[in-house]
Parts: sequence; C-alpha cells; structure tokens
Amino acid sequence: MAEALAPQFEHYEPSFVPSAALAMAVHLLLAAILVFGVRWQWRPLESVMVELWEPSPPVAEAPRIEPPAEPRPAPKPEPVVEPPKPDIAVTAPPPKAVVKPKPEPRPEPRPAALPREDVQKRLREELAREQQAMSTAREKQDFKARLEGEQAAAAKKSMDIYAGRIRGKIRGNIVTPPDVKGNPEAIFDVIQLPTGEVLSVKLRKSSGHRAYDEAVERAILKSSPLPRPDKPELFMRTLELRFRPLDP
Amino acid sequence: MTVTQDLEIWTLVVNASIVVKLVMALLLAVSFMSWLFIFSKLFAIRRARAQTETFEREFWSGNDLNSLYQGAVNNRHTIGSQERIFEAGFREFAKLRSQRGTDVTTMVDGARRAMRATYQREMDHLERHLAFLASTGSVSPYVGLFGTVWGIMHAFRGLANVQQATLAQVAPGIAEALVATAIGLFAAIPAVVAYNRYSHDIDRLAIRFESFMEEFSNILQRQAGR
Repeated sequence: MAEALAPQFEHYEPSFVPSAALAMAVHLLLAAILVFGVRWQWRPLESVMVELWEPSPPVAEAPRIEPPAEPRPAPKPEPVVEPPKPDIAVTAPPPKAVVKPKPEPRPEPRPAALPREDVQKRLREELAREQQAMSTAREKQDFKARLEGEQAAAAKKSMDIYAGRIRGKIRGNIVTPPDVKGNPEAIFDVIQLPTGEVLSVKLRKSSGHRAYDEAVERAILKSSPLPRPDKPELFMRTLELRFRPLDP
Repeated sequence: MTVTQDLEIWTLVVNASIVVKLVMALLLAVSFMSWLFIFSKLFAIRRARAQTETFEREFWSGNDLNSLYQGAVNNRHTIGSQERIFEAGFREFAKLRSQRGTDVTTMVDGARRAMRATYQREMDHLERHLAFLASTGSVSPYVGLFGTVWGIMHAFRGLANVQQATLAQVAPGIAEALVATAIGLFAAIPAVVAYNRYSHDIDRLAIRFESFMEEFSNILQRQAGR
C-alpha cells in the first residue's frame, strides 16, 4: 500500500515560462546591441594620402613678398608710358613746320634759315627733354623690370615647388628597369584636369629605352591625381615632364 | 561574391553562404536553449535552497517526526528535496518498525538505503540540463569557428577570381564569417559561467543533503533503540 507512494518523479517546474521569456529578452537585447550599438560601416571612407615635402616652408613666405610689390608698379607704369607719346606728338609738328617753309624757299631763303636755327634749338631742347624723359622712363622701366623679375622669381619659385611636387610624386612611382644604360631623357606631354586627374599621357621624345618610357608612363598614370599647386593660377592644363633615370 | 558597401549586421547574415547560415541558426537555437536552462536552473536552485532552509529550520526546531512526516505526505507536490529524503527514510523506518523482529541496525540501514535512493533521484533532477550547459560551453565555440573558417574559405575563393585583390573584397566575407564565431562565443560564455556556478551550488546542496541523511540516521537509531 505504501509502495504505491514510493517513486515520486513529478517535479513541479513553475519556472519554464518566465525562463523562456527571459531567454528571449536576452537574445533581443543582444540583437539590439548588434544592430544599434555597434557602429557598422555605412560607406567606405576615402583614403587619405599625405606627402611630406622639404621645400614647403618657403612657400608660405613667397606670397608675403608679392603683395607690396604688386600695388606699387601698378600706378607708376601708366604715367611712364603716356608721357613719351605726347613728346613725340609735340616733336612731330615741328618737322612739319620745317618742311612747310622748305617748299617756299624761292621768295625768301633767309626766313627759312632763321626758322632752321630755331628749329635746331628747339630740336636740341626737345632732344634733351626727350633723353631725360627716356632716362627716367628707362629708370622706371628698370625698376618695373626688377619688380617683375622679383615677381617672376617668386612665381618661378612656387612653380618650381609645384613642378617638384609633381615630379616627386611621379618619381616615387617609377620602377626603373634594371637594364637602363646611361642617362637618357624622356619627355612626356601630360594633360591634366583642374583636379589633378591625368587625362592623357603622350610620349613626346623617347629616351630610347622602351621599358623606361613605359615605366615612366605607368608611373604618371599611377600618380593621378597629381598634386595641385598652392596658387590656382599656377595650374597648367598641359605639362611637359622630363625624366632621366639617374635624376636624383 | 558580392562586395557590400555597407556592413550592416543583417546584410552580413543574409549574404553569408548556406553553411554559415546553418551554423548561425544552430548556434542561435543552442544559445536560446542554454539561456532557457540558465534561467530555469537559476530559479530551480534558488527554490531548492529556500525549501531546504525552511525544512531544516522546521526539522531542528524539535517538532514531532510523525507530524513532520504527515505534513510532507500531504504536500508531496510542493515539498523540497530534503523533505522528500526525510519522507522516504521515515516511511521505510516506520514500515520496518511495524514488522516485528527486525533489529535496530536493519531498520536504520533500510531507512538509509531508501534515503540514498531518493537522494540520487533528487540530485539527478537538480543536475538535469547541466550537461547541456557544459557541452554548449565547450562545443559552441568550435561550431562557431567552423562557420568562420568556412566563411573565410568562401571569401578567399572569391578573391582568387579577381585580378587586383583589395581588402574591400575580403572584408565583408570575413566579417560575415566572424559573426558565426561571435554567436558561438555568445552562447558559450554564459553557459560555461552558469555551469560552473550551478554545479558548485548543487554540490553544496548535495553536501547538505548528505549530512542531513547522516544526522537523521542517528536520530532514527536513537528512536529505534527506545
């Protein structure tokens, strides 16, 4: 009678439903963390390439010299250029006056001589004045030329830097073939877009070594986009690039 | 292999190869089961401990053994493991005592055997599903790793067909493959922690039951001698 009670297998498990709900909650939490918590990559980031250049510090100085140089020549050349013209205009009529008396030497030869002396005097004065004007003009022109030269030098400097950057970038990509002999020069005409993107590369003068030409061409294409100048006015659509295998 | 530009978790899962998808589904199911058992075991062990404490307090408060036995028999569906052990031992003891001519040692031994049997049954019940947690903890990282290796193989096979290999072509494949490992680890780590914790708790409960059995045997022996 008591044996019937002996085995007790029924175990009361009230915790199944709450456990299932909690397990579900844990997984939903994990899913939420994965979807909202982790910052997944939405769009590919653009790669940034940084090039370091030795002569970059002077670039900052170059434009500083220019601004004072520019305003000064602007007002001066105008008066310089104009005065000579009136001078010529003034000198021009006197010869006419000289010529005019000439056709009528028959009635009175003397009056013709007198005006001639006058004319000579006047001419001499004119000449002196002209020479003076010319010398001042030359001085001013010299000054202007010097200013322009400075300006040009500054421009040339930044141009050189710009060209150097282009060359440097391309040079880094040239894989010089091992069997190049001597130091032949290859000249390329490169057309670029304002963004520096290389549009076309044309070999103008071969170095005589085909593999080297091709290596340079590949390097130019690989260097696209080319570095851009500091000042947009230095940008040139067509570039003439010269390369030698032994260039530093 | 498609090169996905946005690496969202859902695109990763959807673009995974069928083997990786199966592995992920299996691991998700295993993870759900293991969490289910983690919670149900947590509640069960907590309940067993509370019941044991209540019964021990009742037992050592000096109540009459017969009335304790009657109470246990009446609420047999809600009583805890220790009370069940007590009930089984006392029933066997009472049965043997009612038979004439049994000596004290036989009575106590019989009661002890009955208690041992109930103890084994109760322990078996308490330890149920712990094996599942243990195998989840040890196997699911490997299953996840299998999915990952398979996915990476897939990614590299796609890479072999292209001329210029970039990281962008393998990255999505590897990422989607690694999701499998992530799910495997997510299933394994809580399972291992829960297994260690619960087996420790159950060991302590078992020690409590065993010492109770010894003490109760002593009490029965004293009662039988009277």
